[in-house]
Amino acid sequence: MIEVQGVSKRYGSVQALRDVTLRAPEGKVLGLLGQNGAGKTTLLNIITGYLAPTSGRVLINGRDPLLEPEPAKRELGYLPEHPPLYDEMTVEEYLRFVAALKQVKAGSIPGHVREIMGKTGLTEMRERLLGHLSKGYRQRAGFAQALCGDPDVLVLDEPTVGLDPKQITEIRALIQKLSAGKTILFSSHMLGEVRQLCDHVVILHRGAVRLDAPIGELGGRDGVTLLCTLQGGERRLVAAMNHLDGVRSVAVQPGGGEDEVRLRLSFGHAATPEKQVFTLCSALNAPILRMTRGEDDLEQVFLQAISE
Amino acid sequence: MITVFRREWMAYFRTPVGYVFIGVFTALSGVIFYLSNLSTLSGELLIFLSQLTLLVMLLTPVLTMRLLCEERQRRTDQLLLTSPVSLTRIVLGKYLAAAAVMGVAIGLTNVCTLILALYGTVYPGEWFVGYLGFTLQSMGFLALDLLVSGFMKNQVPAAIAAFAANFLLWMVDLLADKVSVAWMSDALRFLSLYDRYEPFILGQLSFASLLFFLLLIGMCLLATVRVMDARRFSQGGAA
Ligand SMILES: Nc1ncnc2c1ncn2[C@@H]1O[C@H](COP(=O)(O)OP(=O)(O)OP(=O)(O)O)[C@@H](O)[C@H]1O
Ligand SMILES: [Mg+2]
Repeated sequence: MIEVQGVSKRYGSVQALRDVTLRAPEGKVLGLLGQNGAGKTTLLNIITGYLAPTSGRVLINGRDPLLEPEPAKRELGYLPEHPPLYDEMTVEEYLRFVAALKQVKAGSIPGHVREIMGKTGLTEMRERLLGHLSKGYRQRAGFAQALCGDPDVLVLDEPTVGLDPKQITEIRALIQKLSAGKTILFSSHMLGEVRQLCDHVVILHRGAVRLDAPIGELGGRDGVTLLCTLQGGERRLVAAMNHLDGVRSVAVQPGGGEDEVRLRLSFGHAATPEKQVFTLCSALNAPILRMTRGEDDLEQVFLQAISE
Repeated sequence: MITVFRREWMAYFRTPVGYVFIGVFTALSGVIFYLSNLSTLSGELLIFLSQLTLLVMLLTPVLTMRLLCEERQRRTDQLLLTSPVSLTRIVLGKYLAAAAVMGVAIGLTNVCTLILALYGTVYPGEWFVGYLGFTLQSMGFLALDLLVSGFMKNQVPAAIAAFAANFLLWMVDLLADKVSVAWMSDALRFLSLYDRYEPFILGQLSFASLLFFLLLIGMCLLATVRVMDARRFSQGGAA
């Protein structure tokens, strides 16, 4: 479990984090979303004990990495933004070194490292020098490094950045596989990734938490969004739409043409939203010009969270 | 600590640094040996050792500059500092690796001792005291340079600053002679690595100097740990 309690961080005159509080419960995957410069990396560096906060504190399974560094860090695997690789070492040497740092027993290091190389698809590269690896493989080696010592808590800073689509899918599958029984906190600016992997989302904007919610409550997964362009009177249409079965919200979107209304309809549980809209519109004699399913509720949530 | 030591030791010999250091050190010590002993037909081991200090002063920054700065440049410090290994052990492991490379280089200078022993006499006591002093002094420079590089972000400035620090502590007794305020010149003289080394060159085993060097090493390493610890609060390597 990771607990962050009222953490603030200043770099000289830059206030990178403002009073951030969050919790990543055991066995859950927490996604940290934010734009460039939102403070994601800073927060992860503080959680892992690489930086000290200006105020506030962090607990890893109940221990503060600044006060009890060794027990707190033993539980921790960290993939920083730039994988911390020693270019003059081979993949296998490096992972053995990390395993020794993480206090894996000397006798079980070779087996442990072999297993991790298997999981991360590095087995064929074991003899290569890290300095000669491609970016995607460097990222994998960074990921493998975080798994050494089988930590309970994984902190990953943009784990899929710089990978090709196939590798992205593989790494995501790996995160999903690992998530059983571990606490995982990862940062990302890719919404789809967060939706796919996380149980919980925290949105960070300019160093402050803007949203902290289970992914299920954000819609998208179990809800459906329809984007409709209709012809007819705006007020009449909105009022009628609000009476549809299972509707959660009706929002007028900008950008409709002359005599057109663009609506964003969010449904909770309705099984056949398109059919309902169609029936209603023909009853109102309002032609449907376009109707699409919008999958990206999270995007909406994100934009709203950072807009204030 | 042993883990860190082993990696650093390996890194010295995977990169040219270790070979270059030992190679240059040995070659130049040969030149010094020629100048101080062979060309003057002197059989004095201690004269040779006293001349070697210049070389140590010049070359230790090469060993220490990468230990801390390179980690920060490659961001591998993020791995070390988030591992369950204390800063003290990290610093100690790194220091010992540099000290071991230095030890190899010092060991190789015994080729010169051997030549002296073949064509003259080298008293074991003299050899022991001389090398003890020389090694201690070298290790002192090493610790000092490690501390200096702890303040720096890049390797080249770190090496230059370390060299300046070495030079200053070496010359400080000359400065002391020029300072007329008694306590200041005493204080300066106290810090002078040259003064501390002198008894050893004269063949005397000086416990005060021995203690001084050990304290110097201890203090520098401790200060390095503190500097690294403080960096967590002041800034980050991330930007
Ligand atoms: N060492 C530093 N010194 C000064 N300012 C810094 C430092 N590191 C980060 N910052 C500033 O703190 C803010 C947060 O940076 P951070 O790297 O945490 O953002 P991020 O969310 O990880 O961004 P990205 O998506 O680009 O990785 C930025 O304004 C950045 O300029
Ligand atoms: Mg970042």
